[in-house]
Amino acid sequence: MEWVGSELAQTDVGDTVAAGGEQKEAGRFKLSNLFGGSTGPLLGLIALCIVLSFATDSFLSLRNFLNILDQITVLGIIAVGMTFVILIGGIDLSVGSVLALSMMVLGYLNIVAGMPMGIAIIGALAASAVVGIVAGILITEFKVPAFVATLAMMSIARGLANMITDGSQLIGFPPWFNLSAIIRHGGFLTTTVAIMLAVFVVAILFQRYRAGGRSLYAIGGNPEVARLAGINVKRSTVLVYMFCAMLAGLAGVTLAARLDAVQPSIGVAYELDAIAAVVIGGTSLSGGTGGVGGTIIGVLIIGVLRNGLNLLSVSPFLQSVIIGLVIVLAVAAETFKHRKK
Amino acid sequence: MKSIIKAVFAATAIAGIAGTASAQGVGIEKIGLAVPNLQADYFNQIKLGVEGYAKKLGIEVITVDAKGDTNTQVSQVQDLLTQGIDAFIYIPAGAAAATVPTRLARAEGIPVINVDREPEGEPGDTVIYGENILSSYEVCSHLIGLAEGKGKMVIIHGQKGTTPEVQRYEGCKRAIDENPGIELVDQQWTQMWSPDEGFSIGQNMLQAHPDVKIIFGQADAIAMGAAKAVEGAGLSDQIFVGGYDGDVAALESLAKCDTPFIVTATQSTQAMGVLAVNSAIAVVNDAVVPVRQIPNAVLTTCENAQKFVEKHP
Repeated sequence: MEWVGSELAQTDVGDTVAAGGEQKEAGRFKLSNLFGGSTGPLLGLIALCIVLSFATDSFLSLRNFLNILDQITVLGIIAVGMTFVILIGGIDLSVGSVLALSMMVLGYLNIVAGMPMGIAIIGALAASAVVGIVAGILITEFKVPAFVATLAMMSIARGLANMITDGSQLIGFPPWFNLSAIIRHGGFLTTTVAIMLAVFVVAILFQRYRAGGRSLYAIGGNPEVARLAGINVKRSTVLVYMFCAMLAGLAGVTLAARLDAVQPSIGVAYELDAIAAVVIGGTSLSGGTGGVGGTIIGVLIIGVLRNGLNLLSVSPFLQSVIIGLVIVLAVAAETFKHRKK
Repeated sequence: MKSIIKAVFAATAIAGIAGTASAQGVGIEKIGLAVPNLQADYFNQIKLGVEGYAKKLGIEVITVDAKGDTNTQVSQVQDLLTQGIDAFIYIPAGAAAATVPTRLARAEGIPVINVDREPEGEPGDTVIYGENILSSYEVCSHLIGLAEGKGKMVIIHGQKGTTPEVQRYEGCKRAIDENPGIELVDQQWTQMWSPDEGFSIGQNMLQAHPDVKIIFGQADAIAMGAAKAVEGAGLSDQIFVGGYDGDVAALESLAKCDTPFIVTATQSTQAMGVLAVNSAIAVVNDAVVPVRQIPNAVLTTCENAQKFVEKHP
């Protein structure tokens, strides 16, 4: 456990400097500030790992740890985008459908139209971005509530994904594509996991050190005040939805690599998993507090829990009860803490 | 051919011994079973078949349920492999059967027994699936016979592009083509083979074609949903509904014979589970198993449903 503590202390310094306005708070709540108010979830994750290590022999091993990283790749990438959307007080219900749309565009461009993978990936991300931009414009210009706008986009994107192949699946990607999700470079990182880690790092850096990242908290706290403070709220909102959709699209590309196939019915209810991860990680659904650090812990909790329950051969029906209970526990603990404050 | 026959004998012989021997005797202690969706009775029956038979042999079975999601299934298979299984029974989830689980298991030298279908380009040691074409031909012929060879017909398909969806259509189409009096006026696809989809699609079809006489749902769940829609529209006397699979609920409904749903093809699901375990044992013991093993489905009507209710094949 020693290394966890020392790593926390190190990064904490940088955070205090970057937090600027939050310095006073940061002095008192160093740990919670680092993980976006998610010390509870972090402790929960550690406790979970300890329990599982004792409960089953197969849990505590490098191989299983790498498996977990593989398994959380899609959820992890989606959840980062979802964190930013929820930070500004929004919600995005369309990510599962956007993921499917991205996969189908990718499959169509590469397999049916015979374009090189690079172009297919750019096409898939572009299609996702368009969905995000439309959602963002609906929300900012037409004042449609985010819940409704993204609900509509969820339906539209799913329909489009189905239309591309008339509901059928596509297979036949180049061999290296699937291998990028299987081969562990240096015995450690698959390309897809590396992509997820890169997304994590970039998102944390953006959230901490860029004015754009800090302004998201302001928008989530109070959009009107943020506007008066000179933040272009509309533009930022559209961009946030665009990036969220693009990350869902990117997750779709990694999922296509993992499955070596694309199908339009994939990714149903992934948005709920992503929202669960964000909430478990301590980001408030009302916006303005939390962050990517917490979400990463939320994603890990879900990933470790699912993996552990599988390893323990817990019945599938009981598994979904337990995961539900953990969500309740995490959120209840967070609420309780806020009340005490 | 000779070698295959020999292999089958070997497999049955081993299985015969296995009935009395301990788990060590059959060379397998732990089987991993990946199921797409336990909500579907068809998969649940296979699971019961595998678990019941394995228990008799003293083999431990670890079952994981992907809830219809291919990505979840790949994760679950990774976890199965971490637990040191000796054989892997793989029922692919989702329209696109993932090749990765087979590759992962193969990389560890673990035998892969595919049930229901197999991923394209990455076959396992054997695949066990219900015969579809002939049985769906029989179901549709039976329906057409009841309608005296003429009238309008609709088909509610399963998930588009899956093997059973394609093959059950092929078999049924053959029956339709043999009867020029039958007019196929509409066909639609479900996403999940589910009763609620069968109900709403059926309702819409009845709205568009109130004079339809035959509905073929490609699974019992779909057919029973459609039968409810027929009852709701007050057309029970006019329409014959047929299904496929022989789900427990469907067989019970057939035994009572009080709905428009009057015929199905009962698959030998529990037998498929047993066959999967036997194949796994055979492969581990280096016996050759047939590439494809295809148990028949039995045409089931109101008359013979009761015996399948008492004991599912």
